[in-house]
Amino acid sequence: MSNQFIYLSIMVASVATYFCRAFGMFSARNIKTDSQIFHWIRCISIAVISAVIARIVLFPVGILSESTSLNRITCTLVVLVVYFAFKKNVVLAVSSSVICFILINHFL
Amino acid sequence: MFSSQSFKDGVKHAIGVPALGLGSSMFAFGAFLHSAGFDIYQSFFSTFFTFALPGQFVMVETILAGGTLLNIFLAVLLTNSRLYPMTVNITPVIRNTNIPKWKQYLGAHFIAVTSWFNFFAVHKNISQENKFDYFFGLGGFLWANSVLCTIAGYLFSNLVSHEILIGLVFINPMYFLVMTVSNLKEKKLVFSVILGAVLSIILNDIFPGWSVLIAGITSGTLGYFIFRNESYE
Repeated sequence: MSNQFIYLSIMVASVATYFCRAFGMFSARNIKTDSQIFHWIRCISIAVISAVIARIVLFPVGILSESTSLNRITCTLVVLVVYFAFKKNVVLAVSSSVICFILINHFL
Repeated sequence: MFSSQSFKDGVKHAIGVPALGLGSSMFAFGAFLHSAGFDIYQSFFSTFFTFALPGQFVMVETILAGGTLLNIFLAVLLTNSRLYPMTVNITPVIRNTNIPKWKQYLGAHFIAVTSWFNFFAVHKNISQENKFDYFFGLGGFLWANSVLCTIAGYLFSNLVSHEILIGLVFINPMYFLVMTVSNLKEKKLVFSVILGAVLSIILNDIFPGWSVLIAGITSGTLGYFIFRNESYE
């Protein structure tokens, strides 16, 4: 793993990522906010994000894969329960879930 | 005409929970880069130029697994392809013919899940001519904060235990989840989100690289057509 290869990898990853953004802007040039295609794309966008979250929780890459699936699933339920139980408090929901996650990771 | 007030409002919006949620994961990513053998400049450039965490993790994993540049390109393209529909969705909303094209394409670099959700949470309260500048402030601050947090994670990873680092990475998906749930004001979105998550899990073993994209497109399209006659929020 040479330094040069890492720099080239960063460049390639950046191009691949920016391509998604730039091509998205280009594709949207004729789309209006009151069009049907706008609402269709909105459904796809939010479905893709939920698919990403499901994948991160169940099939993570990186250091998150060092935790157990049971821990991640339990703490995902915690975030939802706390969010709805405490008047949709984002900070409380996320912090409760993450604290639970760290504690379970530490003790089990 | 640039609205500095809208830009500042966007920055103010980003400061707090959005910056903390994304920044904590970027901190953990910086620590991960340190342990993976990257130097500080490479860590800086990764977030500076890519600014899309799942793809950045995939890039490092592919390098460590001995992948080629083509492997990295395809893996990151697939992982970050979620940005394509998100950009198609947000572009008509922030469109402003007075903004130069180069600035619009620069602003596209700031499109990420956190900036997208936070912008859509408030965009109806912002006048059309100020939306781009607001988003530029919001997304731009999140990007700058992410770069700094990656560097901080790289430099100070030895001060934080490994268990805490794993916990920091977990903040971002949980924050995304809460933001997703908070956006579910229409039946078609609820349907798309639930089916998207389920399909992504089912398809993961069959199409490991494509599962997110296939699940998202299928679920979003079904949700849209099944609830097509539903009124919009």
